[in-house]
Amino acid sequence: MGDPFQLATAFVKHYYSSFDNCQRKEDRMQLGSLYKDQSVLQFEGQNFQGPQKIAEKLATLNFDKVNHNVKTVDVQPSGISNGIVVMVNGELKVDDSPNPIKFSQVFHLMNGTDGNYFVLNDFFRLNY
Amino acid sequence: YQRRVHGTVFNRIIEVTTKMSEEIAKQFVQYYYHLFDNKEERVKLAPLYQNSSMLSFEGENIQGQQAIMTKIMSLPFGSIKHEVKTIDTQSSGGNTIFVFVSGDLKIDGTGTALKYSQVFHLVPTDNSGKNFFVHNDMLR
Repeated sequence: MGDPFQLATAFVKHYYSSFDNCQRKEDRMQLGSLYKDQSVLQFEGQNFQGPQKIAEKLATLNFDKVNHNVKTVDVQPSGISNGIVVMVNGELKVDDSPNPIKFSQVFHLMNGTDGNYFVLNDFFRLNY
Repeated sequence: YQRRVHGTVFNRIIEVTTKMSEEIAKQFVQYYYHLFDNKEERVKLAPLYQNSSMLSFEGENIQGQQAIMTKIMSLPFGSIKHEVKTIDTQSSGGNTIFVFVSGDLKIDGTGTALKYSQVFHLVPTDNSGKNFFVHNDMLR
């Protein structure tokens, strides 16, 4: 396995730039490709399982554009296969809002049969 | 690994397992912070960590029960109180459980509270389904 910190940092960069480059809500459906059938997203306490349901949740969040400003990334191997736990803290701004909102997100990344990492567990919380 | 859905029986098992994980998570969080927030009891956190445990404390990476306990026991505040606002739970491979906590930290009885987030990855120590240790711990 490559260095977990490098893998995690690259993943986080890819995740948030994919998210933030979407000009319209519907474009966020493509984020489904980062999840598999057994993946679970807990978004502000609500559960969604599988790429379709997760992508739909992200694509129906009530804004068109978002900018995630990542402040810190903490990384540890999870001890399950080559899994990696990543804790992200930062701020986000939606549409034309001038006020950033703090957020925390935890990813448990797992290597899939195709050799690429996918998100097995995902937790998202706003901190306000 | 693959998980296939076989219908209502499987979904019921998932419901029960999910409820059990949530209950375990809730009890664990209560127990952990009860020990942590009590100066005399804090040392009793030690059995929750093993040699494979890792702690990221505000970006500082610490490995193993001994080093982790040294860090926890040397924190420079008198009194501390964790006020938990949210607990999110997900089970993962190998009967392990992820617990994501957010809340407020009150230090030395001051009025202001610091917001914090903490992730625990609980790994079973035996087959009872009731005993876990903290394999991963991340705090910001």
